Amino acid sequence: MILNALLIYIGEALVAVGVFCDLAASIGMIRFPNFYTRLHAATVGTIGGAVVPLVGVALMALGADWLGNYRFFLAGASIVAGILILLLAPVGSHVLAQAAHKAGLAPREPIAFDHLEEDRRRGEEK
Amino acid sequence: MKASEVFVLVSIIVFIFSLAYITSLGGLGQLPPVNVRVLAQRYLELTWNPLKPFMSSSGYESVTAIVWDFRGLDTFFETAVFYGAIIAAIAIYRGVKITGKGKTIGMSPIARTITRLSIVLIPTVAASIALHGHLTPGGGFQAGSVATVVAVLIIMVFGRKAIIRKGLTKSRILLLRSLGLLGIGFTAVALLLAAIALGVNAYIFQNQPKPFAPLGFPKIYDGMILGGSLLLFNFFEFIAVTAGFTLVLLLLSLDEKDVRKVVVEK
Repeated sequence: MILNALLIYIGEALVAVGVFCDLAASIGMIRFPNFYTRLHAATVGTIGGAVVPLVGVALMALGADWLGNYRFFLAGASIVAGILILLLAPVGSHVLAQAAHKAGLAPREPIAFDHLEEDRRRGEEK
Repeated sequence: MKASEVFVLVSIIVFIFSLAYITSLGGLGQLPPVNVRVLAQRYLELTWNPLKPFMSSSGYESVTAIVWDFRGLDTFFETAVFYGAIIAAIAIYRGVKITGKGKTIGMSPIARTITRLSIVLIPTVAASIALHGHLTPGGGFQAGSVATVVAVLIIMVFGRKAIIRKGLTKSRILLLRSLGLLGIGFTAVALLLAAIALGVNAYIFQNQPKPFAPLGFPKIYDGMILGGSLLLFNFFEFIAVTAGFTLVLLLLSLDEKDVRKVVVEK
């Protein structure tokens, strides 16, 4: 009984974290200066705002014993979807950023380091 | 506010109001009644109805039952038209050499690694959509569309030649596609062939036994709902659609220079 309540409270807390991440990501999408930093905000929105709440939903489903056996289906589907997003979303951002950097389509300023450019120059020297 | 922003705002407002005005004028004609209509009632009643075995289909999913049982002939022609379109695409590209030789420029190792993982997961999801299509929303075409994502990913991440190097040449994909269509056609007439051999009566696209046509596909096996011909249709359509889309994607991803050399200059 206590364990079920605990699972639901932890799940709700994770969903609340997800709400905060989504809010921060949407503010960042509008306020950040260039493409790469906005991509960072989008990734905060997918990992913090989608994977974390999905884990929370899984915990809530496991705690909700009035759902019967369906709670395991719900929890399993949420966990699998969460893992898939966790694997795929960063790759999507990575590919987008690399393509934009390579094509030079997005302005890079303001910038502190550009390791990718250094790597590329080093590759050309070889 | 800039002039362009004002223009966008005004055009959105005009669009919404004109859409509402056209709709309220009766642009859609007489609206259908709100309650469930007679035909829909029949479909819902007869999709799975053990009390009326001669009238009902064999799965829980109404859409699949309609698509492959109540109007199966229509869907067969749709699939045939899709097949014809792909044949036409191949005819346009005839003479173009599709080889796996030469260098491929793929994406970064991060993208490659995750793609290797996901091209195992995607067919699993697709197969579950296809093989469970008579019980839950889904079916052959949807599953085929999902499985085509694998081809898109391989073409984008590893390069087009990677598909051919893995053994999926144009003729092999076409063979797969033809096998799928043949399977659909064979499922449609399988009971008729069996009926001729046994000397009884049967219909084309027959799924369950009917009056004076005693043959039928298995509906339930060991407590598991098989869906009769729906399962077979979904499976073959899955193969046919996957192969068809993959073939078109392979043709579209060819180098324009190579294609122009053959298509324009000949």
